[in-house]
Amino acid sequence: MNKLRQTLVAIVAGIAVFAAAWFFVHAGHGGVTPARAAAESAPVKSAVTKAIPIDSTKCVAPAEYMRANHMRVLDKWRFDSVRSGARTFVTPDGRHFDKSLKTCLGCHAQNPMFCFMCHQYANVKPTCWNCHLSPMETQK
Amino acid sequence: MKKVLIPFIMVMVLAIIPYAGITFGKLDYLFGVIIPYASVAILLLGFLYKLVDWLRRPVPFRIPTTCGQEKSLDWIKDNPLESPSNPFMAAVRVLSEVLLFRSLFRNTKAELHGGSKLAYGSHKWLWLGGLAFHWSLLIIVIRHARFFFDTLPAPIELIEAFDRFLDVTVPALYITDGIALAAVTFLVVRRIQDEKVRLISLATDYFPLFLIGTIAILGVSMRYVTKVDVMPIKALALGLASFSLDAPSPIGALFYVHLFLVCVLLCYIPFSKLMHMGGIFLSPTRNLPNDSRAKRHVNPWNPDIKFRTYAEYEDDYREKMKKAGIPVEKQ
Repeated sequence: MNKLRQTLVAIVAGIAVFAAAWFFVHAGHGGVTPARAAAESAPVKSAVTKAIPIDSTKCVAPAEYMRANHMRVLDKWRFDSVRSGARTFVTPDGRHFDKSLKTCLGCHAQNPMFCFMCHQYANVKPTCWNCHLSPMETQK
Repeated sequence: MKKVLIPFIMVMVLAIIPYAGITFGKLDYLFGVIIPYASVAILLLGFLYKLVDWLRRPVPFRIPTTCGQEKSLDWIKDNPLESPSNPFMAAVRVLSEVLLFRSLFRNTKAELHGGSKLAYGSHKWLWLGGLAFHWSLLIIVIRHARFFFDTLPAPIELIEAFDRFLDVTVPALYITDGIALAAVTFLVVRRIQDEKVRLISLATDYFPLFLIGTIAILGVSMRYVTKVDVMPIKALALGLASFSLDAPSPIGALFYVHLFLVCVLLCYIPFSKLMHMGGIFLSPTRNLPNDSRAKRHVNPWNPDIKFRTYAEYEDDYREKMKKAGIPVEKQ
């Protein structure tokens, strides 16, 4: 009886740990379930090449929101464009953006230190530049 | 149940104070500058007071608790760690207790089997949970140095890199965040679930657990879920580290709840069971070598008693003793 109870507790604990892990893994993706690559139906290439009007006077979201959440936006954009091929981001007020780091750097690379100033100040090391060229490297 | 609910309600009330103060009272300066400085001062002075108080307590004799053969004759095998005979091994024993919780590793659990048979068994869960809790808390505290330093010292950076090496989620998941939350949950559940432990648990056992748990939940939530702009927080932390008195720029109320509860914890440490942090090093049953038989330890405040020897007594009464026919040693 006691063994059974211990086993049940162990199983419940295992499920709890799994649920917690699942939550953390998905917390960054805004609750999006991994979709099958929709590439077959939605031609990714055309979405990329299609000229998307970029209104460079305004960011995709208010600065207040971006200061705290830019890493989530970037992570979601990466997930959407790489996994689901959904490359167009529509803001609540109807403007369209290409889900790409280039969209951000289009404006923000004016100052090559734009990312680094804050990240160095706050001792945060994002993994963006593991793959992407950073504005520091491109603007020579 | 009151023992559990009252500390829980206390933590909730303590959490509401800064929330209301920031949202309705605009008391950023009070909660961002004055209270942190005051609480650190209380922590340092209180900690020092306690340690000095304990250090002044005389410990004239060796009173270590041992669980091994002490060093005696050459042909008797001694256990230098369980019954240390010199200060070095005593220090090793204290450190093994502090770093590895060896005494908890010996924890046993008593249980009635089949209703009448009392049985004892090894029970490592408390050891494991406690160790996970303390170590992850230590690493979490060390990790917070990234807010207080301009450039992070290399060892701290290394610890941080190890802590997030799983590289899942953005921002990267710290392993210790998960371990600390799991461990604090276990430690609370352990106290509530077992009736014997429940019986001996007091409100002062639950309060720090709830407090630390709430602090951890708030910190985790700010990092992964609700999100805050970290720049004004870094500015505030750098300011606090350099003893500046500048008013902080606006930060979310949730951060101030986190900070205020940390301040409460700091103030609470010197006056509570959390002083085991310092007390473990000063515990005379742990930090003394077991050398009572090898060395003579004289109580240093023994009064200087004037003894009267028999010879002096006989000198005083010799004549009278002789008259009474009592034999004397010296004629």
